[in-house]
Amino acid sequence: MIKHLAAASLLLTTACLAIGPAAAADPGFTDTEILIGDVEPLTGPPALLGVAASIGHKIAIAEANAAGGINGRKIKYVLEDDGYVTARTIQGVKKVIDVDKVFAMLGISGSGQSIAVMPVLEKSGIPTVIDVAPVKFLWEPARKNVFVVGQSYEEGIVHLVNFLADKNPGRKWGLITQDDDYGITVRDGFDTVVKAKKLNVVYSGNYKKGQQDFSSDMLQLKDAGAEVFLAGGIIGENIAMMKELEKLGIKPVTGIFWPGRIEPVLKLMGPAGDGIYAVDYVEPFAGAAGKAFLEKAKPLVSEAEFKGINRYTMTGYAAAKVLIAAIERCGKQPTWACTISELEKTKNVETGVMAPISFGPGVRFSNQKLQIMQADTATLSFKPVD
Amino acid sequence: MQYLVQLLISGLAIGAIYGLIAMGFAVIYKSTGLVNFAQGEMTMITAYIAWTISTTVSGNVFVVAAGAILAAVLLGLIIERLVMRPMLGEPVFATVMVTIGLAVILRSAINFIWDAYPHGLDIGIGRGIVHLGSIGVRTGQIAVIVTLLLLLTAIWAFFRYSKVGVAMRAVAADDRTALLMGISATRVHALAWAASSVIAGIGGVFFALSYDLSPAMFQLGLKAFPATILGGLDAVLGSGLGGLLIGITENLAGGYLGSGMKEVAGFAMIIVVLMVRPFGIFGERDIERV
Repeated sequence: MIKHLAAASLLLTTACLAIGPAAAADPGFTDTEILIGDVEPLTGPPALLGVAASIGHKIAIAEANAAGGINGRKIKYVLEDDGYVTARTIQGVKKVIDVDKVFAMLGISGSGQSIAVMPVLEKSGIPTVIDVAPVKFLWEPARKNVFVVGQSYEEGIVHLVNFLADKNPGRKWGLITQDDDYGITVRDGFDTVVKAKKLNVVYSGNYKKGQQDFSSDMLQLKDAGAEVFLAGGIIGENIAMMKELEKLGIKPVTGIFWPGRIEPVLKLMGPAGDGIYAVDYVEPFAGAAGKAFLEKAKPLVSEAEFKGINRYTMTGYAAAKVLIAAIERCGKQPTWACTISELEKTKNVETGVMAPISFGPGVRFSNQKLQIMQADTATLSFKPVD
Repeated sequence: MQYLVQLLISGLAIGAIYGLIAMGFAVIYKSTGLVNFAQGEMTMITAYIAWTISTTVSGNVFVVAAGAILAAVLLGLIIERLVMRPMLGEPVFATVMVTIGLAVILRSAINFIWDAYPHGLDIGIGRGIVHLGSIGVRTGQIAVIVTLLLLLTAIWAFFRYSKVGVAMRAVAADDRTALLMGISATRVHALAWAASSVIAGIGGVFFALSYDLSPAMFQLGLKAFPATILGGLDAVLGSGLGGLLIGITENLAGGYLGSGMKEVAGFAMIIVVLMVRPFGIFGERDIERV
């Protein structure tokens, strides 16, 4: 009898050890539900990108849930506000991973915040797809569990300046950038092309983050005789610069970067914004793909959320589609290891809002194709030009 | 020469906005001895209310102006009654912390009530460009300079000749003696909060006219506070002029020394001025009998 009991105990222990990893399996799902977490700036000026990105995640999740969820499990979205404060991003990510126990992460906030939170993500091993602020540090070196959908800021600027330089040979250039990591990245990209094409830069300004009046800066630009201008502001700054140039009675060929490529900006710039160039890797809303996305989104979000849609909604949507597809391929009992492996196998996934997305073994950056767009004030939209 | 004149005009225009908000700081300090760190946020809220009126009620400039002034009065009174009056008699540090907390709440309110997108305040005037010789100026910029000058005159007359103005000065000078003379300090405080909210709100509305509305607008308070320190924390008129000085200094530094110096120049000037006059250019020296 004792022998039988000992054998049974041994068998039970062996069985427990064998199924241990599955039983202690990765958190974040029940029989009916699977949790996806996110931390974004939902308050303060950067809410413009955080709210929009979260709407993109919600659209992809609503779409998946309407089609039955992930292998029968409805997706629940756990969203935290960090107010664009790095300490709160770290706190928020720890909360959704340790307290809410989500299965995977999307987002996450701005570039500085994503960089700061990287050790937490790496240590936890949670599958993560970053979509808001693609900067090289996030994929160089490649982290096992962190994937980035987008294109690097440097490449974006190089693409834009190359386009403007080819279109405006021999012209005088002006540049103004913000005095932070974003501004340094823009300036680095600009300098790369300046060296390669030997551009004649007659004005180079650097403004302090938060500056709202650009009268003296634009007056200097005019005084220097700049004919092509790279406006390195984000949103309000670019609006103020363009209106100042209008007041000064000059209209240089102007390029802006994708963080500021949102349609309401054109309304505020008025005629001053007509014809400005922008670079981006997501489709413009004025194109067929953009219109189709809006049609798809309309029934899936509230009226207020629909109004908050901008380019970041598309990046959020694409990232969420890729993540959901990867989890789905893992079948009824998804694990973090399987999800990471399936994310790695992502190959030419069509999202309809940007070029097909691919990762690969050791490749954690989707390296999206860029396109140049031009503002049309009459229709308050950006239209592709190349 | 044209370059210099253009810098001066732009400096005066932004300086007038700083000046109006700085006067808001000074009105409260003069009457209550308190620095209101939510001044920039109150300015922003009034501008957002003006924008809401223009988009939902009427875009008529008089309707928007009347609505915004009324809203600013109510905002000032509500804050004074619900937040500041319970703090009467509490340590200054605690009261100042309350204004900092209030600032955070008002800042967050923008996203809850409105949104994070930039908006333009369009009331049919203020955005046009007029040319003074070969120099382009927006009509809103001319209007804000004129408004500041008119308000400076009106406030000088108010404190000098009106009963209420004299009462406010009495409370500021010695609230206990003023109380013994039948002046209600709480009423004076309420009036100061309402007046401060209106004056700063006017600055906010002009800023929205010339530039745009955005949740980052509260930062105007951070630019206007140095103007108050420069003019004198207890000098309402001096704070207005301090704003003009800061605006001109910033623009001249930005125009001649480079963009990076623009934001630094005003603060550098304050350091120099405070070394010579610690109570500001127009501020009154505190004298205590021992």
